[in-house]
Amino acid sequence: MSFREKSAWVMGAIMLATGLWYAQLVMAAPQAPVIGPLIPYVLAVIVLSIVAQVILAIASPKEADSPADERERAAIDRAGHFSGLVLGFGVITAIIMHIGGWSAALLVHAIVGALIVSTIAEYALQIFYFRRAIR
Amino acid sequence: MSKRPPITNRVRELREEHEKMSQAALGEAVGVTRHTIIAIEQGRYSPSLETAFRIARLFGVGVEDVFGWEGE
Repeated sequence: MSFREKSAWVMGAIMLATGLWYAQLVMAAPQAPVIGPLIPYVLAVIVLSIVAQVILAIASPKEADSPADERERAAIDRAGHFSGLVLGFGVITAIIMHIGGWSAALLVHAIVGALIVSTIAEYALQIFYFRRAIR
Repeated sequence: MSKRPPITNRVRELREEHEKMSQAALGEAVGVTRHTIIAIEQGRYSPSLETAFRIARLFGVGVEDVFGWEGE
């Protein structure tokens, strides 16, 4: 497994675990101020990402230092394209729900949720394209 | 998207003819990862023209001696 695939697995797992935790925090108090669940979530993602990347870089220092090659860049670009569509769909859905009566707090949570889902989709698609034929 | 590219190649054969050069060594010489060389050899990825030329030049042959169109 290449360094970038390992990284995608680890980051996808971090985003999934922290995303579920964020959803749990929001569902416990949906109308509470947005900042309440958002700050611990963002801090957890930052700290876990740094720790994970440092461990991966220590395990494969040479690969960690090398830039993505042409096949990896193509896979990353394609995954990014589709995750952008997921994000756009989520944001538009959140806005429609807000127009339909959702509070501003729920709108923000839904947009953060769309960002989390699109990021998970991005890592999942990266893994898919790293493993399958790409042209 | 996951359909195999219609391009065949002799990268593995040429690598073995050249003192059984490793996939990692070839990748390093042409500027791609070992995993990309594996993907090229398995027909899962068609390299860029630049990488195709780099591979051919490294083996001292023409691009068409390394890569071909499926069925030809």
